[in-house]
Amino acid sequence: MIRGVVMEKLQLEATQYTPEINLDPAGIMAFSGKSYPENTFDFYQPVMEWLDQYFANELPKRTVVNMEIVYFNSSSSKLFFDMFDMMEEASGEHSLEVNWIYDPENESAREAGEDFIEDFEKLTINLIEKG
Amino acid sequence: MDIKAIEKILEADGIVFLTYGGFITQSLIAGMTDALERESEKKDINQRLANNIFVIFIELSQNMMNYSKSRENAGGEFDPKGLIMVGKGEGDSYYVLSQNILDSGDRDKILPKLEEIQGLDNDGLKRRYRELRKSGRDSHGKGAGIGFYEIAKRCDQIKYEFISIGDDKFYFQFKAFVK
Repeated sequence: MIRGVVMEKLQLEATQYTPEINLDPAGIMAFSGKSYPENTFDFYQPVMEWLDQYFANELPKRTVVNMEIVYFNSSSSKLFFDMFDMMEEASGEHSLEVNWIYDPENESAREAGEDFIEDFEKLTINLIEKG
Repeated sequence: MDIKAIEKILEADGIVFLTYGGFITQSLIAGMTDALERESEKKDINQRLANNIFVIFIELSQNMMNYSKSRENAGGEFDPKGLIMVGKGEGDSYYVLSQNILDSGDRDKILPKLEEIQGLDNDGLKRRYRELRKSGRDSHGKGAGIGFYEIAKRCDQIKYEFISIGDDKFYFQFKAFVK
C-alpha cells in the first residue's frame, strides 16, 4: 500500500536570525538557535509543509522534537504555537514528545516553555535544563 | 556636523549602547542585535535581562521595518526613517527607545493596544498575550500582532507619545524600561 510520498530530511543551517533546523522522517526533529526572521511565516513555510506531510504519512514508533531556542520574536512565538497545535493534534494517535531545552541562566526561555505547557495540555512538553 | 551636540544628547539619555537613525533593514537589525550581545557580555549583564533587551529591540525595529515596507508598497509619500536607541537608565535599569513617523490612521490602530497594555497587571498581560497568540486574531502577514504585548511582558514599564508634526502626521515615540 502506498502511503503518500517518501519523506526526505529537511535541513537548514542557522543564520544570525534563524535557528538550525533538522527534520528527520525517522522521527527526530531539532530546532536550535535564535528565531527572528524578516518574515517568519515565509521562513517556516517549508517546515510546516514538511510536518504536514510527515503526519499524513506512516509514522515511526515515536517522534521526538528538541527545541532549543535562545530567544525569539513575537511572530516566531505565534508560529511555534501553531506548530505545537499541529503536533498536539497528531499526538492523539501517536507517541510524540517535545523537549523544550534551555540554559539555566535563561529564565525567559524557561518561562516561554512553561507557557506552552499550560497552553497544550494534551501535548507532552518536557522542560529540560541544560547541564 | 556638530559631534559635541550629538554627544550631549546621548549623555543626557544615560550611557548609550547603541543608536541608529535611518532606513532599517533585516541585516541591519541582525548586525545591531549582534553588537548588543557583545556589549551585554562585556558589561556582564545577566542573561534574563540581556535577552529581554534583545527581544524588545528586535520587536521595535522589526515593527518599524515592516511598517515602512507596507507604506512603501502602498505608494505615496512617506519618510521611512526610524530611530532606535538602547541605553542604561537610572540605577540598574536599561531602556530601548524607538521613534518613527505615523499618520492618524496608524495611531488609531496602535493606541487602543497600548492603552489596554497600560491597564493590565503582569498576570493580566500574560493571559492576554496567550489569548491573542491562540486566537490568531489581529494577525497579518508580517507579524502576529502581539509585538507590543511581547514587549510589555518583558519590561518593567512602557511610555509612549504621539507628537503631532502637522499634516496628519505624528512622531510615535516609544520607550521600554527593563530591569
